[in-house]
Amino acid sequence: MLGRVAESLYWMFRNIERIENLSRFLEVSSAMDLDSGMAIEPWTPLIDACGDRELFQAVKGRFSAEEIVDFLVQSKNNPSSIRNCLNLARENARQIREVLSNEMWEHLNAMYWRLKNERPIAGLPSQEWLLRIRQDCQLFYGIADVCFSRGLGWQFCQLGRLVERADKTARILDVKYFLLLPHGETVGGVVDQLQWIAVLKTAGGYQMFRQSRQLSITPKGVAQFLLLDPNFPRSVRFCLDGIYRSLSRIDPLQASSESPLGRHVGMMQARWTYTDIAEIIKYGLHESIDRLQQDLNDLHNQLEQVYFQAPQSFSPPHSSNQRTA
Amino acid sequence: MFSNYEPKDGFDEYFAAPNRPRSCFEPLISSLGHLGLEEISRSHRAAETLLQQVGATFQLYSGAGTDSSERILPFDPLPRLITAADWAGLEAGLVQRLQAIDLFLSDIYGEQRIINDGVIPRDYIETSQGWRPAMVGITPPLGRWCHVAGLDLIRDEEGMWRVLEDNLRCPSGVAYYLENRRVMKRMFSSLFHSHNVQAIDDYPSYLFQTLQDLALWTETPKVVVLTPGSFNSAYFEHSYLAQQMGVELVEGRDLFCQDGRVWLKSTNGRQVVDVIYRRIDDDFLDPACFRSDSLLGVRGLMDVYRQGQVSIANAPGTGVADDKLIYTYIPEIIDFYLKEKPKLKNVTTYRCSRPEDLNYVLDHLDKLVVKSVSEAGGYGMLIGPHATGKEQMEFRQRIQANPRNFIAQPTLYLSTVPSISHGEVYPCHVDLRPYCLRGRQQWVSPGGLTRVALRRNSLVVNSSQGGGCKDTWIVQDNVPSAAVPC
Repeated sequence: MLGRVAESLYWMFRNIERIENLSRFLEVSSAMDLDSGMAIEPWTPLIDACGDRELFQAVKGRFSAEEIVDFLVQSKNNPSSIRNCLNLARENARQIREVLSNEMWEHLNAMYWRLKNERPIAGLPSQEWLLRIRQDCQLFYGIADVCFSRGLGWQFCQLGRLVERADKTARILDVKYFLLLPHGETVGGVVDQLQWIAVLKTAGGYQMFRQSRQLSITPKGVAQFLLLDPNFPRSVRFCLDGIYRSLSRIDPLQASSESPLGRHVGMMQARWTYTDIAEIIKYGLHESIDRLQQDLNDLHNQLEQVYFQAPQSFSPPHSSNQRTA
Repeated sequence: MFSNYEPKDGFDEYFAAPNRPRSCFEPLISSLGHLGLEEISRSHRAAETLLQQVGATFQLYSGAGTDSSERILPFDPLPRLITAADWAGLEAGLVQRLQAIDLFLSDIYGEQRIINDGVIPRDYIETSQGWRPAMVGITPPLGRWCHVAGLDLIRDEEGMWRVLEDNLRCPSGVAYYLENRRVMKRMFSSLFHSHNVQAIDDYPSYLFQTLQDLALWTETPKVVVLTPGSFNSAYFEHSYLAQQMGVELVEGRDLFCQDGRVWLKSTNGRQVVDVIYRRIDDDFLDPACFRSDSLLGVRGLMDVYRQGQVSIANAPGTGVADDKLIYTYIPEIIDFYLKEKPKLKNVTTYRCSRPEDLNYVLDHLDKLVVKSVSEAGGYGMLIGPHATGKEQMEFRQRIQANPRNFIAQPTLYLSTVPSISHGEVYPCHVDLRPYCLRGRQQWVSPGGLTRVALRRNSLVVNSSQGGGCKDTWIVQDNVPSAAVPC
């Protein structure tokens, strides 16, 4: 497989995952917005959850529901807005259409044209609109699941999707945790059940949390579930397990302790498998998540070096002639 | 639906005269009548949306893939029918013509008998823009040069098929031909019930077979499609064909030459490449051999090709045979190599390089279509009857300055087929581009891409000039002893 094809597959899935997460974030916030008596307004944390506070302030300045929604859904100045991600995912797909199954391409392309031919959203998006976006992403995954061969290409798709998902799950937890537990208050203090339910819903994990815990909702319980649960498909640990699995299918050597990439992923996986939530909180949840994000960035950079950029050893002979001349 | 339809200016393929359909169209015309214009228009819009969604689009040269310059080729829903008997004759004519053209190319890049025997002047060949001296002395595998050809055919006022142009380099449009059928089947399935339409879905299989045939040195050839990249206007077709054949779509930067072979850079090492179906022009193939500023090609490719370690489809240098001046010699070429009469006729053509033709052309500019031999896509031509006096004047000067560069043909009223135009059925002019494959076997696509001039009374079918396309059906003519044959 060509490096640039692997890279396009990776980014295509990463962008779709980003859209799916964003639409769920917005769905939950717009539902919360309708409830009365919420202590915390539901929109601003989304900007932080996307790590875009600086860009937002530069582009928009004013924190209002409408401006935040516009920024996240359609602003041309936000490279990670839903519209931009869809343009990018579709362009990724267009460039490597020959390796996709027709059904995947046609679904993604139809989604692209639907949004492109639609008027921009004024005000707040309807829940229906957000739901349709999310379901379009999920349908895309479903199509890939039933008709895309589990070869190399599939593994690069998984990498893109899981790196993005681990990052977003961690970020949403980080932001809400910080907001909901003001300084000085210890874990286990008075919490707003509604807010924590919203956190779980934002990560699409409310029912699964209930089933797995059989306990009331505590901040610690939510953090443990979203970070360390071995079975919930959006937990950080689950994503890291998947990343490791895909890497070993691509090349067992690159996933082993023999390579820097393998060591890096192995360390991450170990850290998020063999840690107790109490230790993480003791060390500082925010600090732990910060480190995770740094590690995910490093992982991305290493994938770029190892797979996406054309390997040096294959450079055509004329260039080496020039060097010796 | 057709009660007000009046054929005009040329042979109408549906109707011999108002309300007198040709026999083989009767079932179709009745099915169309059942649907009604309103329903057809509704499905027509849905079909165009569908074409957009399946990505059957081309890009206008202006920028990135995400801007609004991405268009579908306008699609007309009224199918064009060709009877199987008529088609059999056409097919034989195409096969004969391409066989002669391959022999011609082998000859001019080899012994040059046709020049030495005085049939075609040497300078006509060597001044052709398609002439590639680098190919002299090279015999491509199987002696085949034009593995994929897309000749443009028209029907004249009597309904007789003629060749208008030979496209022998990188003919495009086959993906539209295939996708149009798929869309037709989805949106207009009821129309298919009235006829036994020959299937076309096997084109990618034959194309793949043809390309594999060119690697004489291996049982398991690696075939790739070489594209200029995702910003090329025909990128859709490149990726579509690669996908349909299940081969890799590569750019020049993905390939390199080493140890006498061409290789593909991949995530798990280098992989040898045996056959390159290139969708870039000769000039850009190899900066070491052709244009040195080319960023699209592969340095050293022609050396490997000369050593017979890679095949290129089509072979470099085929452009000399679709030069519009050489076109006028095709009957002589068929006679010279095959000792046969052409089964498919050319359009009457005047060579401005010949003094008596030049005088005739200059005296009849208002009646003729004059074409530059070096331009395509409907550019660089004068349609006399539609041109102003000033335009004729300018063209006269251009012709006199370089007669070798021009040919002229009588203004042809291409045949017409009913098409949807401004909400009603109107006779629009059409041509036909069948796709011919030549590897060990030869194969002609049933039908081809029908291009239609959707601007009323326009004779130019090119997409750059308001042209669209139609699905083309090869059908059995089951109606016995009909009053008006097709």
